[in-house]
Amino acid sequence: MSERRESLKIIGAIGATCAFPFAADELYAQQEHTHTEGVAAKLPEPKYFKKDDFEMIAALAEMIIPRTPGAPGALDAGVPAYIDFVVSRSKPQQKLFSDGVAWLRKNKFAKAPAEARLALIKPLCDAVDNGKVDTPSRKFFRAMKSLTSDGFWTSKAGMADTLGYRGASILGEYPECREH
Amino acid sequence: MAQSVKTYDVVIVGSGAAGGTLAAHLARKGVDVAVVEGGPKINTRTDFNTHAMPWEFANRQIPRMKPGKQGMASERARGLGGKTLTWNAVAWRQSHRDFKGKSIEGAGEDWPIDYPDLAPYYEKIEREVGVCGNYDNLPDLPDGVFLPPVPFKCSDQLIAKGAKKLGLKIIHVRKSTLSRNQFGRPACHYCGNCMAGCDVVAKYNSYDCHMLPALKTGKLELIPNAVVRQVVVNGENRATGVRYVHRETKQEGEVLGRTVVVSCACVQSVALLQMSNIANASGQLGKHFIPHFTGGVEAFLDGLKGSPLKNDEGFLDHAYLPSFMHERKRDYARSFGAQFGYQNRRSIGWAREIKGMGADYKQAVKDRYPAFVVFSPYGEMIPNAQSYIDLDHKRKDEFGLPSARRHLVWGPNDRLIFNDMQKWSAEILRSAGVEILKIHDEPRPNHELGGARMGSDPRTSVVDAQCRAHDVPNLYVIDGSVFPSASEKNPTHTIMALAARAADDIARRLQRREI
Repeated sequence: MSERRESLKIIGAIGATCAFPFAADELYAQQEHTHTEGVAAKLPEPKYFKKDDFEMIAALAEMIIPRTPGAPGALDAGVPAYIDFVVSRSKPQQKLFSDGVAWLRKNKFAKAPAEARLALIKPLCDAVDNGKVDTPSRKFFRAMKSLTSDGFWTSKAGMADTLGYRGASILGEYPECREH
Repeated sequence: MAQSVKTYDVVIVGSGAAGGTLAAHLARKGVDVAVVEGGPKINTRTDFNTHAMPWEFANRQIPRMKPGKQGMASERARGLGGKTLTWNAVAWRQSHRDFKGKSIEGAGEDWPIDYPDLAPYYEKIEREVGVCGNYDNLPDLPDGVFLPPVPFKCSDQLIAKGAKKLGLKIIHVRKSTLSRNQFGRPACHYCGNCMAGCDVVAKYNSYDCHMLPALKTGKLELIPNAVVRQVVVNGENRATGVRYVHRETKQEGEVLGRTVVVSCACVQSVALLQMSNIANASGQLGKHFIPHFTGGVEAFLDGLKGSPLKNDEGFLDHAYLPSFMHERKRDYARSFGAQFGYQNRRSIGWAREIKGMGADYKQAVKDRYPAFVVFSPYGEMIPNAQSYIDLDHKRKDEFGLPSARRHLVWGPNDRLIFNDMQKWSAEILRSAGVEILKIHDEPRPNHELGGARMGSDPRTSVVDAQCRAHDVPNLYVIDGSVFPSASEKNPTHTIMALAARAADDIARRLQRREI
C-alpha cells in the first residue's frame, strides 16, 4: 500500500509538469510517443552503450532524479552522458552495467509503462536502502543510483539550479550567522 | 653533470613550510642560500583551478592545475611552495603538554625543547605572515599574535551550543590566512577554495610570503625542477651538496653547499636520507612514524535542514574543538582535538547515500544540502615498532628513484583514542541536534610526522634540538619528520617555528665558521 502511494506521488510530481513522457502518458493518455522514443529525443549519441540500452539507462536515471516543478531532472542535467562517460572508463562499472542491462531487458523495462517500471525498480531501491546489495540487479541499482546522484548533483542543473549553490564567489566580508 | 658554479652557504632541499621559511630567514641574515625544489615554479594566482566548478569537466573532477600548467604532480616534484600551496592553513602553537608527553604521562617521547624555546619563533612567524584567531587564554593552546578571527558559521553556532550542553568550549580556528589586508596581501574573500590553491595569497604559501620577498636580498637563489636524489657526504663526514635529476630532461646536476638542509616533508625527507645512506648511526632513521589519525562523523544539522542556502563556505572550517580529554579521567594517554566543516559545498558525494528515489529523494537531498557537516577529530599516535618509513627498491618512480614506503599499524592506545574521539564527536553532534549519516569506523592517517626524530641522545634520535643531524655536523633536517611526538594539533605552524629557530642556529654557526 505504501509502495503504491509512493509511486503515485512520484508519477504525480512528474506528470504535473509534463516533464517526462512516460509519466505523462500514464496520466494524460498521450499515446503518440512510446516511452523510449521520448527519452531518445533528448539523448546525445552514446560512446559506450548501445543506443537501446542507453535509452533504458537514461529512463532509469530520470526515474531516480525526475524533473519536478521548477527544478530540472537527470535528463535536463545530462546525467546519461555522464554515466556513459564513467562506465566507458571503468571495467568494474562495465560488468555491473552489463548485468543490469541484461536484467532490464529480461524484465522488458523498455516497453513497460511507468507504473510497471516503478513496480520493477522500487524493490531494488528498497533493498539497497536496507543495505542488501547482494544480487546483480541490486548491485546494478546501487551503481546506477550512485552515478545518477554524482552526475546530477555535480551538474549546473543540480548544484546551481536545484540546490541554489552560489559559492566560489568573492565576498567583501564573511556573512556572520545571526539566526543561530 | 651540471654543477653549480658557486658554493652556497646553505643548500635547502624542498621549498614548503620549512624550506621556504628557512630560506627567507637565512637570506635576510645575509646568508647565501639555494633552494632546490623538485617541482616547477607555480603561480598561485593563475595556475590553479581555484574557482572552477565540477560541471566544467566531463568526469566532474576538478583538476588541480589549469590546462597547460604544471605542478603538484608527485610527492617529489610538487612545485615552489610545496604543500603550503594547497594547505588549509590551520596554525596552532603547541604547548608544554605537547612537548613533554613522556614526562607528563609516560607515553611517547619528550621533545628536547619546550614551549618557551619555541614561543619567540611562533611569534616571529605570526608577525611576518599573519595568523587570524581569537585570544582564548587556554593553557593547552597558547595564544599568539592574532589578526581578528573570522565569525562562526551557522553550523558552528549550532555545534558550539551542542558542545556547551556537554560542558565543552568551541573556539575560533586559527589560520595563516589574512582576515584583513596586511603585508601587501589582500584579506580572504571567502570563496571556500583554500585547498584548491588561493589565487590572491590571502592564505599563506611559502613562495609568495617567504621566498619571493627574500629574493630582494640578492642572497636567495631558487632552483626548481631539480629532484634531489642524494645528499653528498665526503670522507670527512661533511655534507658538500646535493645531486639531483632534472624533472623534465632527467639530466643529472649538483648544487654545492657548506651546509645542507633536508626539508622535503616528513616521508620524503626520510627517504632522501635513506637514499643517501646517511644520518642513521642511531638506527632510528625511518622509525617512530607517527602521523595524526583522523576519524569522522558525517551528519545533517536539524537546525539547518530545509533552510535557505547561504553563501557561507568562508575559508572552510571556522571553528575548533580544542583538546579537553587531557584534563579528564580516561583509559588512555594523550588526547585529540577536532576540526569540523572544512568540506566545501561542492563535495556532495554524500547525496548517493540518501535513501529513496524519485521526487522524494531529490527533495531529501535538497533539504539536507545546507545542513551537511563533517566532524573530523584528530588524535595523537604513540610510536610503535611496526610503524616506520623505508624504501621500496622494487618500485622506482619516474626519476628512477626507489619509492618511499609507509608502514603503519595503529597501536592499542591509538585505538582507544580513536574510539573515544568518535564517541565524543557523535555525542557533540547529537547534542547539537543531527541526523547522523555515517560514523567512520577506521582511523585514517593525516599530517605525516616522525621518522627522523629530534632528541638529545644520539643513540636514540636522528637530529638534535636545533634539527642538526647527530651524525653529520653540517646537515639539518627540518620538517614534520623531526617531531618526537605528534600532539593532536595541526603541525605546520610548529614546523615553521622550528625552521625560524634553526635559521638562527645555522647563521650563528656559519658566523663562527663551525659549519
